[in-house]
Amino acid sequence: MRLSACNVSWSKGGISILENVSLDVEPGEFLGIVGPNGSGKTSLMSLLAGLRRPKSGRILVDGRAIDRLSRREIAKRIALVEQQAETGERISARQAVELGRTPHLGALAPWSSKDDEIVDEALRNVDMERLAARLWHTLSGGERQRLHIARALAQQPQVLLLDEPTNHLDIGHQLGLLQLVRQQKLTAVAALHDLNHAAMFCDRIALMSGGRIVALGRPSDVLSGERIAAVFGIDVDVVREGGGRCQIRYRPPGAPVVEMPVLRRISS
Amino acid sequence: MIGFANSLSRTGASLLALALLFAALWLGAAIGETAIPMDVVGRTIANRLWQAGYSLDPINEGVVWNYRLSRAVVAACCGSALALSGVVLQSLLRNHLADPYILGISAGASTGAVAVAILGFGAGLLTLPLGAFLGALLAFGLVSLLAMRAGRGHGAIILAGVAGSQLFNALTSLIVTKAANAEQSRAIMFWLLGNLSGVRWPDAWLAVPTAVTGLLVCLWHARALDAFTFGSEAAASLGIPVRRVYVVLIGASAMMTAAMVSIVGSIGFAGLVIPHAARMLVGIRHGLLLPASALIGAIFMIAADIVSRVIIPGQVLPIGVVTALVGAPAFAILLGRRGAAR
Amino acid sequence: MTTIPSIRRSLIAVAALMSSIASNAQAAETTYPLTLANCGRDVTFQKAPERAVSIGQSSTEIMYLLGLQNRMVGTAVWIGPVLEGYEEANAKVKRLADNDPSFESVLAEKPDVVTAQFQWHVGPEGVVAKPEQFEELGIPVYASPADCVGKDNTGGGDGVRYAVFTMELIYQEIAELAQIFNVQDRGEKLIAELRAREEAARKKVASANGKLSAVFWFSSAELDIDPYVAGRNGAPGYIMRALDIRNVIESDEEWPTVGWETIAKSDPTIIVAGKMERRRYPADDIALKHQFLRSDPVTNLMPAVRDGHVVEMDAQAMNPTIRTIEGIEVLAEAIAKSGLTQ
Repeated sequence: MRLSACNVSWSKGGISILENVSLDVEPGEFLGIVGPNGSGKTSLMSLLAGLRRPKSGRILVDGRAIDRLSRREIAKRIALVEQQAETGERISARQAVELGRTPHLGALAPWSSKDDEIVDEALRNVDMERLAARLWHTLSGGERQRLHIARALAQQPQVLLLDEPTNHLDIGHQLGLLQLVRQQKLTAVAALHDLNHAAMFCDRIALMSGGRIVALGRPSDVLSGERIAAVFGIDVDVVREGGGRCQIRYRPPGAPVVEMPVLRRISS
Repeated sequence: MIGFANSLSRTGASLLALALLFAALWLGAAIGETAIPMDVVGRTIANRLWQAGYSLDPINEGVVWNYRLSRAVVAACCGSALALSGVVLQSLLRNHLADPYILGISAGASTGAVAVAILGFGAGLLTLPLGAFLGALLAFGLVSLLAMRAGRGHGAIILAGVAGSQLFNALTSLIVTKAANAEQSRAIMFWLLGNLSGVRWPDAWLAVPTAVTGLLVCLWHARALDAFTFGSEAAASLGIPVRRVYVVLIGASAMMTAAMVSIVGSIGFAGLVIPHAARMLVGIRHGLLLPASALIGAIFMIAADIVSRVIIPGQVLPIGVVTALVGAPAFAILLGRRGAAR
Repeated sequence: MTTIPSIRRSLIAVAALMSSIASNAQAAETTYPLTLANCGRDVTFQKAPERAVSIGQSSTEIMYLLGLQNRMVGTAVWIGPVLEGYEEANAKVKRLADNDPSFESVLAEKPDVVTAQFQWHVGPEGVVAKPEQFEELGIPVYASPADCVGKDNTGGGDGVRYAVFTMELIYQEIAELAQIFNVQDRGEKLIAELRAREEAARKKVASANGKLSAVFWFSSAELDIDPYVAGRNGAPGYIMRALDIRNVIESDEEWPTVGWETIAKSDPTIIVAGKMERRRYPADDIALKHQFLRSDPVTNLMPAVRDGHVVEMDAQAMNPTIRTIEGIEVLAEAIAKSGLTQ
């Protein structure tokens, strides 16, 4: 399934948040969206998920405008994991994941064993099977985040949208989560704030600034010292590896520039 | 095998629930201000439903059928409707302190009632219940408008509801203090606290369809309500048409509550506490929670009505007093157990 | 000319002599300053008042019956039309308000006495004023004993009557007003007339031998709802005791609300229904009261309703006023006519 944004603009309260953004998500890729706060990442995710309507331009799903589809049809194809999703209910881990079957079930269709299997698999995928019976409020931030992903997986989407999924997680869980996403056989688009994570896991990166996409391509093509300085206002050294990958080395403010040799992979 | 056992236990549970409901209705018909032998209830029902021809004292039979049984039925509908509205609002507004009156409905109904009873609005064409219903709708309309202007989200609705309730409560107080004498104030007080005394079968013809329709509408949306567990954005991403669900469910709650308040006055606590009790018993899945709340609400209200009639001999307490006196400590206990469980 | 036996003739002569002596004998003249104990206060009158304001229809009508209309400058609180025969007299006196007058409107008439029927108008929690407010301006206040003797009015509103009402309290009011205005002869005459009427009524129903029972229905907040019926301590209680009729309502409150179930099961011989001009509640209308009794599925089974023993009585007679005597007469007449005394 091909998800695209065509010249979308969006504003809120009179302030323009996204201007003329165009983006084609390649099926099967892991696309990262990076940019400073206020660059429009979350808004773009909302638009791609069909939760908000662009002020101008269109979001297309396989060439058709997304607003032609009902909410349910969108939900069967696209799953969104939000930045913050909390609840005060005494819900168990398994029940939280079961919610992911909602778009497929409708009002009257009964729960079947097939749904149970899908939920089981989603829990296995995020390594939360052991904790399936635990109550939500007894779980840690990382465990909850994994459950959100499991819920999205239970939706059996073709595209998985993640809005800053690694917030509130420790480094081990951050990397584990991104690896998990990468391993899924679906298209994934993630808004990330850590450039190195984006560089490590994403096939392509869209760099956003001031409501526009200023660069789109492989991590090593998009992330350059000048661009990062221009967008983020910090000085970095970019260490390029082969195969489109790179690493960002942050310079403490005021440190001198150091020339780094280009490291080449021995095998790709 | 598990599926069969599941569906068997589900049928068993439904039958048990129905049996409990019938038992409660029976008790409601059997117990009242005056003593009537228990067997009269069965014989009355037999006489009325299939002309069994038992010979009974006509006043006893009349009391059991026309007064007590109709009242028990309406009490059950009222309890169900308030409990269902409570569940729906607590889930949609993501606030466990929400209750049906949060939309300003009870306050508006009171204002409508005093306007008719004290100011003489409608000049004899409007009855008190009709005035109450119109007042409820007016208040709800105002609250909805305020909520839409206040922006998106449930916080807006709650704030608008508070504002609307305060406004209409103030109007009620104004009318009562300026225009009412002691006798009127007393009548209004009785009405404001809920009163099932004037209920007859024609009231049941309104109450039963309202409650049943409300239950069906809510059950239809059981999955949608589950989807709101993590918020309206999450619900939207799970395929729920959020705006439509808000309109339909809040509208249904408003209609159910307004209808019930116009028949029996405003009875507090049921809509607030029963959803919590039901959640503790059957969990948070709305497919179970909704019918369980409806059942517990029905039984609770019948019980409250019985208590209000027998606890002080020769006098009938307003039912709202009983629900509050029972509801408040029950709520406190529930909160304590929740805290302990954590 | 009929011949009368001689003994009887002499007896008649003696009687005639004695009554002429009695009427020629002067009733006492009031000496001023006059101090009376009235409702827990001492009230002093320097002279016979000339400019009275009367707040309360019963007190007003007593003063008309005492021929005092030329010494009145204002009236207020009217529940129905004035006593028959006194319309001309009433027309001469300014009506300050149909309901509670304002303190200043009373003062504007520059009264030298204010008489009050109800404590909740002029009393410790009076909505018009407290008596002290008038007394500070040199205006003495006389309150009807019927509303303060044996009553606790500290809570405001209707107050609670803890001792039974008797016509003696009205007779006391007549005697005291006659004393205040120095028309004691008229007062005595009025009291004697009223006692005679009471006695005549009592005789009419003596043959019922205390076998009758009744319930007094004032009105109801809604037609189907629990009615306001008379308890034991108010004016209806007195009417029933005067005629040796048992009150099926055993409450000590003046106007408790009691369910139709209890009333129906207690099977009163007579239902006394209040007739009034006010239309605040639908049940105020006597026609609707009749209609309700006939159409409600339980009340229409009551022997009192089936046999047509529903007596209409002016609602003012149901309150502790000068008209309570009329109430006794109306009820006695109805009983005698209905053949219940057989």
